[in-house]
Amino acid sequence: MKVRPRGTDGSLLSSLPWTMAALAVSVAPHLPYLPIWISGAFFGCAVWRYLIERRRRALPSVWFRALLALACFMGVLVTYATISGVGPGSALLAIMAALKLLETRKRRDQFVLLFISIFLVMSSLLREQYLWSLPYLIISIVVIMTAWLRMSADHDEPARQSFSTGGRLLLYAAPLTVAMWIFFPRIAVPFWAVPMDTGTATTGISDSMSPGDVSKLSLSDAVAFRVKFDGPIPAARYRYWRGLVLTVFNGRTWSMNDPYEGPRVHEEVSGLSDPIQYKITLEATRQSWVFALDMPQSWTLDSTIMGPQQQLVRARPIDQRVSYDAVSYIDFSTNANLSKYARSWYQQLPDGSNPRTQALARNMRSAAGSDNAFIEAVLRKFNEEEYFYTLEPPPLGSNSVDRFLFDTRRGFCEHFASAFAVIMRAAGVPARIVLGYQGGEINPIAGHLIVRQSDAHAWNEVWLPGYGWYRIDPTAAVAPDRIDLGANDAAFEGFGAAWGSSAQSQFLQRLSMALDALDARWNDWVLGYGPERQNQFMEWLGMQNPDWQKLMLTMIGLVLALIALISLLLAWRYKPPASDAAALLFRRFARKTGLEPGTGETSTRFAQRAIQSGRLPAAAVESVTSAYHDARYGPGDESAIARLKRAVDAIR
Amino acid sequence: MSSIPWPFPSPGGLLSSLRRGAVARVGRWARRRQGTDPATTKLRPGRVYILPTGVGIVFGIMVFAMLLGSMNYNNNLSFVLTFILIGIGFVSMHQCQRNLVGLELTFAGTEPVFAGQAMRFGIAVANRSKTARYGIRLYREGIESDIHDLKPGESKVFILAVPTEQRGWITLDRFGIRTLFPFELFRAWAWLHMDISAVVFPQLATNPPEPPPTMVAHGHRQHDARGEEDFAGLRKYHEGDSPRHVAWKAYARSGQLLSKQFAGADTSSQWFDYDHIPVDDVEQRLSILTRWVVDADRTREDYGLRLPGTEFEPAHGEAHRRACLEALALFEKGTT
Repeated sequence: MKVRPRGTDGSLLSSLPWTMAALAVSVAPHLPYLPIWISGAFFGCAVWRYLIERRRRALPSVWFRALLALACFMGVLVTYATISGVGPGSALLAIMAALKLLETRKRRDQFVLLFISIFLVMSSLLREQYLWSLPYLIISIVVIMTAWLRMSADHDEPARQSFSTGGRLLLYAAPLTVAMWIFFPRIAVPFWAVPMDTGTATTGISDSMSPGDVSKLSLSDAVAFRVKFDGPIPAARYRYWRGLVLTVFNGRTWSMNDPYEGPRVHEEVSGLSDPIQYKITLEATRQSWVFALDMPQSWTLDSTIMGPQQQLVRARPIDQRVSYDAVSYIDFSTNANLSKYARSWYQQLPDGSNPRTQALARNMRSAAGSDNAFIEAVLRKFNEEEYFYTLEPPPLGSNSVDRFLFDTRRGFCEHFASAFAVIMRAAGVPARIVLGYQGGEINPIAGHLIVRQSDAHAWNEVWLPGYGWYRIDPTAAVAPDRIDLGANDAAFEGFGAAWGSSAQSQFLQRLSMALDALDARWNDWVLGYGPERQNQFMEWLGMQNPDWQKLMLTMIGLVLALIALISLLLAWRYKPPASDAAALLFRRFARKTGLEPGTGETSTRFAQRAIQSGRLPAAAVESVTSAYHDARYGPGDESAIARLKRAVDAIR
Repeated sequence: MSSIPWPFPSPGGLLSSLRRGAVARVGRWARRRQGTDPATTKLRPGRVYILPTGVGIVFGIMVFAMLLGSMNYNNNLSFVLTFILIGIGFVSMHQCQRNLVGLELTFAGTEPVFAGQAMRFGIAVANRSKTARYGIRLYREGIESDIHDLKPGESKVFILAVPTEQRGWITLDRFGIRTLFPFELFRAWAWLHMDISAVVFPQLATNPPEPPPTMVAHGHRQHDARGEEDFAGLRKYHEGDSPRHVAWKAYARSGQLLSKQFAGADTSSQWFDYDHIPVDDVEQRLSILTRWVVDADRTREDYGLRLPGTEFEPAHGEAHRRACLEALALFEKGTT
């Protein structure tokens, strides 16, 4: 077996740092998702390899590298339990890059590293796409192209040179990219489904609710979804965005039973007001819950059905931003008879939990006389007694509702909703909790509604005989501003004072709205440029009945035309300078004389010879020669060239 | 034991012989198409060929996979990435070809060599355009020159060192110029047929017999080592004249370098005679003669060379040396 030498000679010092920069730029978007040991291994290997090159040490041995590779592969397998999907795939790519660095000895080994970094960029785009993803993508490509050119560049060539060459080629490629991107036919159905990164959590509503869950969300400014209404935007107190419904309480945590196993009561929903039409663009949640204005009647999202508690569920998780149209009724009724089984389901409480609350509920119910009066009494209790709506509620132990209702008296929406549901159930009124969002901020620039994670909300539904499910929001009883003004503007205890309305904050507010408008437009037209948008755009361009063949032909035609243009541009760039144009013209003149200019013969001598040969008039030869001298040795302006050209053309 | 030859060529051998055959055929085709090139040739676009490299093919496969992935996920930003890479592929193809088109190649001479040494053909490549050219390299089957960049208006001499085995004419019938710039995805090249020839001198004998003794050409060679006292006159200084013979006083007077001439000193000479070498082999005889000529030339003594049919009167200097060596190189080879 031939043993390859492992020593380094510093010959990669001019290109290796750039290759490493390309890898670093492409691995950076993955860092929040990679296990810490992979990031550590990656940067460790990079620094180690650089030091090896710097000090001209030997590379680690084959055995060491093989062992390291095996260990890393096992590590990935243990961490992810699979190697398919974007998460483990990127982890493997990062590991491969780190290990390849350790055996990179020749210039050309770096090709593999650059290919890996291109794949890393691609997988980061599969994972998530934002407004800044495109600029970042372009930066990454420029760095990769520079590194690529560094590989074959002269050692004394400055990096600036490679950078500008790479940038120039990218600029040439830009129109081609745009043409292909617009016209390449988009298809609706994926060929195969690869699991996305479902393991990593995003901020958002989860499928259970313990005290503190929603208030944690209220700190996040992230956009949950954006809504574009066809008509006027309904008032804030009607904007309840229905998500999932929680029906089971264990004394502390509310959770949902599988909607298909629960009481199979598909209540009939009938709208009582005008339908409201709107379009929601939902950010990736990696969950199945689909949000819509309470109460949705129809929706256009694929493989989405309405569960028995009127929650919308999608068969596969929402791992990419999706858009759908929906129709809802703000005013609605659910005419249904609750079966006996279902009735007892919605009255269930764990035995012996929160005893003080249960006793209170029974007392209040018997004092009220009717369910309606009882509900009003409970809401009045929240409103009139000392209960506070706060972002930082004190921690609760077991029997959390008891602790909250009688001791701490401070809570966020989930505390009130939970307490209210427990009180209702203890008194025999069927009740459940709806998790979703409430309100949302209107973007005056784009005219859409932004619903953020901080708008996450929990409210109740109680079942009233003869009416059906009826929405009650106990938070509204405690902090009406939360419902009317939105989470941000509600006067939180110890929080509201910070929100002044100075000129600066108004400017910032406008700026953030403009950014949001841009973001929404970007999501809609660029990131969401699918078959539908493409057809729309083609029809706008004037293409009739666009189909993939027409698109493909247009694309090929455009690409060929652009390539021809680029070729012309390059030919122009490589054109000989003007003084050489003079030489070319003189050569043409020489051909016309029928004489062969001798090696080292001056133009004057040649002109004498041409005159002597007598084939051309002496005046013509002299005018060519003098124009040639002006063009060649004069100040180098274009007029001399033009004169020479005329003089040469004059000779037939 | 295993001396029975395998009746079929090994796969590797078969492939490489196929490749050689294909290269030769394509070469003949190119020659027919282009004809023989003049000593200065400008590369027209029509004669610059281009094909993807191995890296280019891998790149193509990778981009195709990325296109499939983008379609599958309907991911518009990864479409952007894929199309940028495709665009860069197209652009680098044209850039690669343009990097050669318009270059002017001129034969820039050779350095004479002895058989066994490498003949260094110099080809000047001139960039007459406003834009720099990068990563240019000349090559011939199995031989490559160094890689050079050419700034706008710059001209550089590329050396093709062709190994030699025999004396006589060596012809650089065909050579190529190529570039991988910018991304090594494509290889653009052009073939040139300038039919440049050069003479390879015979191999230098390693252990030559003693050269024949120095003869006194006019029959009165002075055996007295002090014969230099016999001053005969002054003549213009020639390169190689001993500094001891320079007339420094005359130099101080006139500013002209003159050498003193001594009677008898410049008449000594050697005759190297092909027929008087005690070796049978022609090539060996030529090798020995070559060694003698080279050694004698270093001493600045006059020497003459006698080959069957040719004779060089005793003399010295570069022209004489060259004439002798060329005669030795082309002995019985005919004239090209």
